[in-house]
Amino acid sequence: MAVLDARGLVKTVGQGRGARRVLDGLDLSVDAGDVVAVLGRSGSGKSTLLHLLGGLDAADGGRITISGEQLTDRSSRAVSRIRLRHIGFVFQQFQLIEELSGRENVLVPTRLPGAPGGGARRAMELIDELGLSAVAEHRPHELSGGEQQRFAIARALVNEPELILADEPTGSLDGTSGATVLALLANMPNRAVVIVTHEPEAAAIADRVFALKDGVLVASEIEPRR
Amino acid sequence: MSTVSGGTRALPAALADAWLSLRARRRRLLLGAGGIALAAAMLSAAITIASGLGGGFNRGVKAADLGDLIVRFNPESAGEVSQRLAALPDVASFSLRTEFTDTTLVNGSHRVSGASAEILDSGSRHGYAVTAGHQISGSAQQVLMEPALASALHVHVGGRVLIAGLGYVRVAGLAEGPDDVGYPLAAGRFYMTSAALVATIQAVVKRRHERVPRGISFRVNFAEVWLHNSRYIDQVLVQARAESFGLRDVQFATRGGVRVLVDQAAGIIIDLLVALSAIALVTAAVMLAASARAEVQRRLRSIGIRRAVGATRGQVVLTQVIEASLVAVPAATLGTLAGWALINGPDDRLLELLNEPGPGAALVAPLLAGWLVTVALPVAGAAWPAWTAAGRAVIALLRGADMHPARNRRGWRRRPGRDGGQPDSNRTAAPLGGGAGGGLATLGARLVLARRARLAATVSMLAVSTAFVLLMIALAGALSAIETDPQVLGKHYQLTASAPPSMAGEIAKLPGVQAAEPRYDARAVDGYDLGDIVDVVAYGRDHTRFEAPPLASGSRYRGNDEAEVGVGLANALGLSLGSQLLLELPSGKQLSLRVSGTVSSLDFDGLVAYVPAAALLAADPAASSQVAVLLDPHASPTRVTAELNQLGVGPKATEGATARGAPLVAVLKTILRAVAVLDGLVCVYALVQACALIMQERRRTVAVLRACGAGAGSVRRLLSGSVLTLLAPATVIGIVLERFVFGPALSNLAASYAALDLSPTGLEVGATVLGLALSGALAVFWVTRGALREPVVTGLAG
Repeated sequence: MAVLDARGLVKTVGQGRGARRVLDGLDLSVDAGDVVAVLGRSGSGKSTLLHLLGGLDAADGGRITISGEQLTDRSSRAVSRIRLRHIGFVFQQFQLIEELSGRENVLVPTRLPGAPGGGARRAMELIDELGLSAVAEHRPHELSGGEQQRFAIARALVNEPELILADEPTGSLDGTSGATVLALLANMPNRAVVIVTHEPEAAAIADRVFALKDGVLVASEIEPRR
Repeated sequence: MSTVSGGTRALPAALADAWLSLRARRRRLLLGAGGIALAAAMLSAAITIASGLGGGFNRGVKAADLGDLIVRFNPESAGEVSQRLAALPDVASFSLRTEFTDTTLVNGSHRVSGASAEILDSGSRHGYAVTAGHQISGSAQQVLMEPALASALHVHVGGRVLIAGLGYVRVAGLAEGPDDVGYPLAAGRFYMTSAALVATIQAVVKRRHERVPRGISFRVNFAEVWLHNSRYIDQVLVQARAESFGLRDVQFATRGGVRVLVDQAAGIIIDLLVALSAIALVTAAVMLAASARAEVQRRLRSIGIRRAVGATRGQVVLTQVIEASLVAVPAATLGTLAGWALINGPDDRLLELLNEPGPGAALVAPLLAGWLVTVALPVAGAAWPAWTAAGRAVIALLRGADMHPARNRRGWRRRPGRDGGQPDSNRTAAPLGGGAGGGLATLGARLVLARRARLAATVSMLAVSTAFVLLMIALAGALSAIETDPQVLGKHYQLTASAPPSMAGEIAKLPGVQAAEPRYDARAVDGYDLGDIVDVVAYGRDHTRFEAPPLASGSRYRGNDEAEVGVGLANALGLSLGSQLLLELPSGKQLSLRVSGTVSSLDFDGLVAYVPAAALLAADPAASSQVAVLLDPHASPTRVTAELNQLGVGPKATEGATARGAPLVAVLKTILRAVAVLDGLVCVYALVQACALIMQERRRTVAVLRACGAGAGSVRRLLSGSVLTLLAPATVIGIVLERFVFGPALSNLAASYAALDLSPTGLEVGATVLGLALSGALAVFWVTRGALREPVVTGLAG
């Protein structure tokens, strides 16, 4: 069964004469262990797609299923619960909470009501695995960009979600840090990963690469890793 | 020219920008407007009261042309009195009156007894102001009446009222005389010319078909004197006392003396209100400035874009100023009007009780000044961050950098992870906390703790507001106690029986009665010819068992040659510990006792003396007496009253403050309640605004949490932690402040009048804490609801 299954997604942004249909019947299915990259020009609707897949925004039409649970047409509470259990986000700007240390940022999703047990242990394991132990107690502004993004990845993984959604994960990183982050995203067994990016390097780690064109996904000219 | 046209073009553009921006954030706008309106209401209420009470006496004096010296004496012929007054130095003019006390006025079913008829005998200046209707003159059977007396009789200007025993007179107008407080605090007064009185008497005689007397004249007992120069009042007073030879029972009152009494009481209320409004104003200003700063921070990029395309720093600020003004002007107007409307009624009633005119149009200028302050503060608070931001490098603005980047505290630059060093424990963040809810609440607390200056300001304001709310509640309770609980006035006995002293033993044996003792009471005049009437109270044995007003200084009397005097009496006669109290009793004999102590008493304005019964009875064996009855702690007053009724001794429950003071207490309680409600609303506003600010500044944090799967409950937990961090210390500090600072301070101020215990009771503290908790819950709920309406992606974008 596909971890992520999106059918006929429609989304219009703007109003009146400025309205623009950025997604026009888009379909996407991602299985566990798959890394899918979505490329597109700026403003093509990549981020909008990611937000819809993560339940951060509502589609005008279509249906999304995550790990067998329908995401569309659900209450805000139910969508929050699906995000908590099944989805991990990685953002371009890291979005770490400034008042918390790196470790505490990783712990945040584990402290939310309804989060699976054992979060503290998993958090420490992830911090170790990602080589962040030495800076675990540092606050975000004391960390490099690469370190911040690794903490953000640890936070996305800590509740063991089946789906990782990454929005321009290397957009704010230098080449070396970006490569490290991509390597991490490329090696997530049993998880479905969707990366939206405009950087071909990021797409190179994907199993499948799509381009978002006229509101639908089409096969990209960039070769996938396998 | 280009500057002018540029400026002309800039204004509509700035207006349009401001309007669009306001439309985009209506909810926050409502909150900001609410804060401004509250502060304006508080300030306007304070201004209304302060202008009313603060200048009331002066206005009254000016409007009424009150004399510098008021003299009361036993009736004498007008010619005799005129001769003596004319002999005084520096006298500009004087007027004479005859004051008839104990007059009864009737209008239908409404009746007022004990009114005072002021019969104007001579002189063109009268010392009262006609506030409605017209002046009286000649023999027309018309009167002027105090407004409160007219209200009590339900009679209007032009209506008729019956003077018992004389007949009907028409009410020509209303008049206020500031030389005394109004009805019912004092006897109600009405004014009539002597010619009108003569005409009325003649009409009565005519109706009875008797021979109409001619040449009726009255002896006068009241004189009002105006000096050329008020500074010479002391010298004139000395001379007047000397010239009073031949006049009996002369009492002098100076304008200054009346002013001191009124100002003392008004000062406490004004100080309280001004302090409260200052708190409200500072609360609103700090919150709005912080909100404006957060808003500017959010708009840094757009400010950067405007600057990049050529907008000047002034134009950026102008937009912000217009935007703030569009909110502040209507909110401050509404608040100012609401505060005035809320407090104007009780204030007018208070002034009416004090026989002082309201400020009228003179209130407009201070209200306008208050309105300007409430508009200027938030506008300045909004303009300043915009000015600072617009002054930064455009490139920095376009990057959206923090207006005040996090300080690079010493040592924080070091990268322990990079150079192999260990993290400094002082630099590491505190742990996130225990369980799921605890973790989010802790995070909420840390979000608040991160803004330490604002935390301190908010906690201080909440603490002081809490203390004031507690003080108002305690004060309202204390005022009720003065009204209903005789113990506040030091009276421990619950009943009095109209029985001869010999029956005290029999009454003491009744079931439920702990003790019974004869209580003697006599009205004396001071022996210094100052004309003060003194209430003399005497008990056979230890009076403190039955009546023990708080001792202000010295000690209780021990021997038969000692007395305790009220603070009011000590002040009036200039008595101190050890000095001799000289009283003239109705028997004509003098009572001379050494002052052993002074006591705080509200009874009889403090003109009271507690003396040994033996001393009083020796000087006045016919002194009236009752039996004071002290009940067992759990005895039923109803049952004892029934027993006393069976004995036929007319029992009566002990009263609190005299019934005449009840309207004043009621008005004060209304004002206190109104102020407490406003203060409570300021607390609620401060909490809601603090929560809204956290949400505004930390919208990205909240969005991240929501992206991680946090629902409404989690956001509420986060905010609850923030609110608790503000409320917990504020509540504790507020209670401590009231208990150890405000309460004792106000008790000390009122010590001359009554023993006011202004320590909050457990129930009052509980109610206040509950109120704060509910306010906090309301703030959390309201702000969370608003925050969750924002799409997560919008929050993530910052």
